[in-house]
Amino acid sequence: MIIKVCGLTDNQSSMQVANLNGVDYTGFIFYEGSKRFTETTLATAKQKVGVFVNASLQYIKEQVIKYNLDVVQLHGNESPEFIRQFPKNIKIIKAFGIATEADLEATQLYEGLADYFLFDTKSESHGGTGTTFNWQILDAYKGSTPFLLSGGIGLESIEKLKQFTHPQLAGYDLNSRFELSPKVKDPDRIATFIKLLNMKTTSYLDTDPLGFYGEFGGAYVPELLRPNVEELDAAFNSYCFTEEFESEFKQLLKDYVGRPTPLYLAGRLSDKYGATIYLKREDLCHTGAHKVNNTVGQILLAKHMGKTNIIAETGAGQHGVATATVCALMGLNCIVYMGEKDIERQAPNVQRMKMLGAEVRPATSGSKTLKDATNEAIRHWINHPDSYYLIGSVVGPHPYPKIVAYFQSVISKEIEKQLLEKTGKTYPDKVIACVGGGSNAAGAFYQFYDNPKVELVAVEAAGLGIDSGKSAATSVLGTPGVLHGSLTLLMQDADGQVTEPHSISAGLDYPGIGPLHAHTIATGRAVSISVTDDEALQAALELSQLEGIIPALESAHALYALTKLELKKEDVIVVNLSGRGDKDMNTYLEKFPNL
Amino acid sequence: MNPFKKDKKQVSIFVTAGYPKLDSLKGQLLQLQKQGVDFIEVGIPFSDPMADGPVIQETSSIALENGMKLGLLLDQLDALRNEVHIPLVLMGYLNPVLQFGLDAFLSRCQALSIASLILPDLSVELYETKYKEVFGKYKIPVTFLITPLTPNERVQRVAQVCQNSFVYLVGQNSITGQGYAINEGLSSRYAELKKLCGATPLFLGFGIDSKEKKEQAFKSVDGVIIGTAYLKAVKVEEEVKFVEGLL
Ligand SMILES: Cc1ncc(COP(=O)(O)O)c(C=O)c1O
Repeated sequence: MIIKVCGLTDNQSSMQVANLNGVDYTGFIFYEGSKRFTETTLATAKQKVGVFVNASLQYIKEQVIKYNLDVVQLHGNESPEFIRQFPKNIKIIKAFGIATEADLEATQLYEGLADYFLFDTKSESHGGTGTTFNWQILDAYKGSTPFLLSGGIGLESIEKLKQFTHPQLAGYDLNSRFELSPKVKDPDRIATFIKLLNMKTTSYLDTDPLGFYGEFGGAYVPELLRPNVEELDAAFNSYCFTEEFESEFKQLLKDYVGRPTPLYLAGRLSDKYGATIYLKREDLCHTGAHKVNNTVGQILLAKHMGKTNIIAETGAGQHGVATATVCALMGLNCIVYMGEKDIERQAPNVQRMKMLGAEVRPATSGSKTLKDATNEAIRHWINHPDSYYLIGSVVGPHPYPKIVAYFQSVISKEIEKQLLEKTGKTYPDKVIACVGGGSNAAGAFYQFYDNPKVELVAVEAAGLGIDSGKSAATSVLGTPGVLHGSLTLLMQDADGQVTEPHSISAGLDYPGIGPLHAHTIATGRAVSISVTDDEALQAALELSQLEGIIPALESAHALYALTKLELKKEDVIVVNLSGRGDKDMNTYLEKFPNL
Repeated sequence: MNPFKKDKKQVSIFVTAGYPKLDSLKGQLLQLQKQGVDFIEVGIPFSDPMADGPVIQETSSIALENGMKLGLLLDQLDALRNEVHIPLVLMGYLNPVLQFGLDAFLSRCQALSIASLILPDLSVELYETKYKEVFGKYKIPVTFLITPLTPNERVQRVAQVCQNSFVYLVGQNSITGQGYAINEGLSSRYAELKKLCGATPLFLGFGIDSKEKKEQAFKSVDGVIIGTAYLKAVKVEEEVKFVEGLL
């Protein structure tokens, strides 16, 4: 699509606009009746359009020579005869004001005389009204001259523009909706427009420029955090794909975390469920869960950004421990916010964080659990914008979901290699992972999102049961809403207040899910299954006794999904075993007193 | 006509609807109007107010415990329609509003002649790309926040979008209710921001707690918005005296 920006002059903002990628035509208005009248143009390599309203041929020719114009746009009542007098090598755009189908009839007289038509909102003032017209009228245009669409197009028009198609539609003319004042354009808005327009989401993992996966995601943050998220996004994009970062990240994952983690063919489990079942052993990571993949990645990013104070939120304490661990490794200050209730419930992890040198700060507001710890961490970040907020799952404002998913993608990258060795194929039939916020699932699914042959199974905690009022099955019980900076599926009451989830597993006890999961579940790319507290306990005991592996309660949810899925003999299944059960021994002790 | 444009400096008070009692709003609005406050911001309580300090968090959760809901809040305002003549602004996080239904909410706001909405977790770019049309349909102007750190071009963009209401300047980069001094650097930045806002009024909020600070702010901006300090006074039932001392 051609993008023409009109109403430029010789000032700085016009120059910035002309330099934007994707801007094809720069328009200068040589009409004294316009608020954007200019007597100069810019030195730009882009095509220059002079806009004239009922001017004399002589005057127009003079301006073409003086300013080296490539195109002449005739925006008044210029007749076909008048246009015939123009030298052939000047491109012509003839503008028409459109209010009804009848206004299209005049175009027939101009067929063959103009390179483009321009259809604008009809007005006495020859355009510049800032309002749109009913584009459906153009369905009646059957001419062979391609046209540009004009009149009041703004950022808010994107959705409609994408829906409006016409065989002769050649581009868009942008003007008043993209300026700070007449003659002062807003390059930011124009750049956003072009990005949004050109965006094709070919991958489930692509976000639009505002950070949306489909309809979920975005950065719903107060202005106070805007610089922080922008700084983070810029740093991630510029640093995390460099060789320097990649080699350091790989090295740490190998020597410190202990990667690659095994892809273990669980023989007795396979026999029991009648399929070939592999366990991806994230439980063997240093600190006992996948969480550390992300904290290693983010701590390198934080260090690169020159940050020395790290903050994090934690529920069960796994992410807090993983953060405290990498902060110790890098010699950085670490503050972990943790709900007052969770501090009581998860005493051993609190102690681990303290031994690792972190300060654990209780979140005493609201329900005093993970969501409140997240609120506190965000508040801390607002008050201390120089600190680095190391978020623990694929949640929060854009770009966090993208960043965390990327750092966890090592899980599925290894699965591909390991499966190839073991089965001759790089992908399984199903991948199963539990979803709290969804970081281990995002990592385990990452390489397979765009391969429709792989079924992605997201397992949520049903708590005491979906209908019990004590559940954390967000994709079933949740509705779209905004929490912690993103629009996602959220458990909330009818009044939009966030409700307290329940799960026996503290790591799944979160009222939202990452926007990537909301998107893939809502579009049917992933299926969600809910597993209750009791079912998870049963699966934990089963894995312990069949394979000699005591899983984390979170991972036990994923394991129970094997019971709920229809499996075929030839199916190759990967279950992401996100963590080990040490941290859950108290619960196991309480629930299995008579073993 | 922009109801926030006056040729005098203005004072606005933020109240959390439903605090301290479910039906406190009526008395508060009438009292504030009587005392000569220029406009009032009515806070919609939310379970997870991420940009608020402990005081507003507490009022918000007490209001929710009292049973305050957005529908009820609008009903309470409706009952006061003929008694409150100063502009009312609704301020709240986006989620309760989305859940109520943006269309339904805006149409109620229009019927109530709400002068503007402040939705701190809605950014100007999200507004322009995703929500502008529906707000436009009901002609409710939105007010956006800036901070001293907001880049100049963005300030201009915000001022333009807010031309029928005002720009809300958060005095320093912090959550609500954190004390700070308006030093020379800050006040000259405020003055600069005031210029960038052009014809759009600029009001300073977050952390204004005294007459002195108000007077200081008046030197560079069009008015002040007071929340935490007022709510603290409400807690000890001294809000009338507090507002008196402030004005
Ligand atoms: C072992 C384990 N698995 C899963 C989770 C859930 O988090 P996510 O959904 O981000 O993977 C946690 C969170 O603490 C965890 O510790």
